[in-house]
Amino acid sequence: MSFLAPIWLVLTAAVAVPLFLHLMRRRIDMRREFPAARYLLRAEKENVRRLKLRNLLLMLLRTLTLLFLAMAAARPIGELLGSGHVPSAIAVVVDNSMSTGAIVSGNPLLGRFKTMARSVVQGASANDETWVVTADGTVAGGARSVVLEAIDRIEPLGGRADLMAAITHAAGLVLAADLPASTVVVVTDGQSSQWPGDLSLGPVRVVAYAPSDTAPYNRAVTMAEPRPPRWSPKGSVTVGASGADSVTFRVTLGGRTAARGLLRGSDEQVVRLEPSERGWLAGAVDLTPDELRGDDERHFAVWIGDAPAVSVLPGAGVFVREAVDALVQSALVTRGSAVEVAPIDEATKLPALLIAPTDPVRLGAANRNLERLGVPWRLEEVRRDETVARGTDVDGTSVRVRFPLRSAPGATAAPDTLATASGEPWIVAGPDYVLVGSPMTADATTLPVRAQFLPWLSNLLSQRLTREGSGLMHAEPGAPIRLPAGVTGFEGDSTIFSAGATVKAPSRTGVFFLRRGEERVGALVVNPEREESRLDRLSGPELTARLRGRDVVVTADPSEVTQRAFDASNQRPLQAILLLLALACLVAEMLVVRQAEPRGVRQAA
Amino acid sequence: MIDPASLASLGRIEIIARWVVDGFLSGLHRSPKKGFSVEFAEFRPYQPGDDLRFIDWRVVARSDKWMIKQFQEETNTRAAIVLDVSRSMDWTGSPERLTKLRYAEQVTAAIALLLIRQRDAVGLVRYDDRLRTVLPARARSIQWRRIVKSLEDPGAGSDSRMAEGVQQAAKLIRRPGIVILISDLLVDVDQMESSLRVARAAGHQVTVLHIMDPSELELDTRGEAIFYDPEGTLEVTATVSDVRKAYAKTVAHAIEEWRLRLAALGAGYEVIRTDSPFGVPLRKAFATRQRLP
Repeated sequence: MSFLAPIWLVLTAAVAVPLFLHLMRRRIDMRREFPAARYLLRAEKENVRRLKLRNLLLMLLRTLTLLFLAMAAARPIGELLGSGHVPSAIAVVVDNSMSTGAIVSGNPLLGRFKTMARSVVQGASANDETWVVTADGTVAGGARSVVLEAIDRIEPLGGRADLMAAITHAAGLVLAADLPASTVVVVTDGQSSQWPGDLSLGPVRVVAYAPSDTAPYNRAVTMAEPRPPRWSPKGSVTVGASGADSVTFRVTLGGRTAARGLLRGSDEQVVRLEPSERGWLAGAVDLTPDELRGDDERHFAVWIGDAPAVSVLPGAGVFVREAVDALVQSALVTRGSAVEVAPIDEATKLPALLIAPTDPVRLGAANRNLERLGVPWRLEEVRRDETVARGTDVDGTSVRVRFPLRSAPGATAAPDTLATASGEPWIVAGPDYVLVGSPMTADATTLPVRAQFLPWLSNLLSQRLTREGSGLMHAEPGAPIRLPAGVTGFEGDSTIFSAGATVKAPSRTGVFFLRRGEERVGALVVNPEREESRLDRLSGPELTARLRGRDVVVTADPSEVTQRAFDASNQRPLQAILLLLALACLVAEMLVVRQAEPRGVRQAA
Repeated sequence: MIDPASLASLGRIEIIARWVVDGFLSGLHRSPKKGFSVEFAEFRPYQPGDDLRFIDWRVVARSDKWMIKQFQEETNTRAAIVLDVSRSMDWTGSPERLTKLRYAEQVTAAIALLLIRQRDAVGLVRYDDRLRTVLPARARSIQWRRIVKSLEDPGAGSDSRMAEGVQQAAKLIRRPGIVILISDLLVDVDQMESSLRVARAAGHQVTVLHIMDPSELELDTRGEAIFYDPEGTLEVTATVSDVRKAYAKTVAHAIEEWRLRLAALGAGYEVIRTDSPFGVPLRKAFATRQRLP
């Protein structure tokens, strides 16, 4: 036998009270004149043995009553007779990942899970502690009614979440409760992508429900990607879907249908668009609905604006000048002064594409200009060793003349290195500038003569060197995100975040515009993980093998989950028995007292 | 029926005694004994030792037989009431009841009045740790006033010299008569038995009225206390609830012992509760007497 609240055993000291009262020599102050005292004396003498026995019995009954009450207060459990189940800490983990929103037999799978969770929690007694934990780690615990309300409020998540982390969290909760039985009940669809590996839960009992039927067929939008990220104002959306058969899709932009099409198998389609709207727009690609609606739509956001106005200074070189002319003709850029393309020593302002000078003697002037413009980079002595550049869009470019770039002393910004040559920075970028360590001439580098030069230059001018439209973020539902500097919150939400705060992405999918004060400065696109659309399930034995606990039960029978949720071991609460024994002692004590004091006599007295 | 305490509160002892006796309708009796008085009863043959004054000489002359005239006695008998006035008698278990002594005095007055009205001679002996009052038996009406007056004398001594009282009563009555002992009998049984035996040997009819407060019959209090005997040093510490049953049994046993031992002596014995109407002891006292030889 052990005790759940052994501190109350101190109450057993109270048994000393009747013992003390029985053993102490009582002082009686009341004196009564009674002429027939001789008869009283005779009566006492004749009954002394019976009186002693009776007093001993009363003392014993009172002592036992106190002992039983004190032990009951300490909440004993043991392998004796008892009722109910051992006090248990039970955490019900409800898998509410996106896949549980699938309709099976006309009802959402999650509805079945919630019914099971309710029935487990309703089976708890006052000695139990219960929690409900959802796949996104949300925990509700406390009174049974609170937990039941929390179960009713569970909705399918927009994404995968982390079921294994939720189960681990639940195991921690039940172990911390320090009750004789710790059980985690998991109700899940057994989606194999949720169980990448084994999960060890130590001494915790695990009762898991996983349906044994086959997962429904599912098609999902796997791609809805705007290219480029900033449209000026032309752009395209690359659309893709999973599945082998053909499916119709629709592209919406700004709430209006922008295009429709047919996807064959897992092909991708590019939908070109030139919307008339400007600024941040939310878009989506959706498919014909199937059993799992959560992945039949995928969101995107684009910034749409006019083409950047570019001015090319003469020292930038003929290749650059010609390329910009071509971009102007393609309407990807316009003539203007918003962005400057110039040699480093000639640049007058930012934003600018800064190109290394052709003449090494202008090195000093170039560095002084960099310092004046506030660019935290400096050019070193020219090097004329042929090397190959590594970096996005410039990979494999040959570099023969270059000024190695080094960070300026005292620089605090964290610039991007877009490309390297011989392991040293060759093209770097920062706010409002892109710095190239070689002049744009054919004898210095093959970059201007490569086919990628034009898209590379276009991307730099329209995406990196344009201030607008830089605040695009992508996240999965519930994932932590670090807000860009200057963002104070989301549109439609009055919460104000501090600069650079890390927040949790919404658990539902969609486009959430970022704001700085009242100004829309970016967008957060929340889409489900692609693997969440794969609904294939683990079998019961496979799931059992993944779970490591004291006693793991995986079943496809909902009633068995409720039945086995509580530990049916031999240990039972003995509180009720002890209270009954205390009551029996009290009744016996009352009977003994009443025997000596008949009712009529008591009333008369 | 009006209770004794309420009745006693209505007037002085002699008034109450008159009410009691007047209400006691069956108190009058005729003695079966023949004496020498003015009212002729019958003749009987002379026997040696008879008083020569009662020989009827006319009958002797006519029949030559010595005949004695017998007369109905006017003073039928002589009685002595022995009243215990010790401290134990001056106790009541409830303020709503008379003390045993007050009750016994009332009974004494009533019995005395009843006897005197029947022309019986009545004497009184009061005792506690000594003899307090000794009134020789007289049949005059003034005797009752003497008795009532003597009841007002102090008593409540710390002992009961019952043997002395009974012996004194036996001496007061020269011829066989009635001795009525009114006491709570909180004395040694053997000692009392011997004194009563002496009275019985003298030919007296003995009737014992055992006065008991209801609280002495059944412990009707509760709690713990030290119970002490007002006439001695006896102290008993007891929890009433523990001994209530045993006490009642002990008292019943003691009463039965008194009854048996007095019956063996040929004495009448009646237990009188102080909450009984005064007619009850009168009726019991004389009913007992008529049963006796």
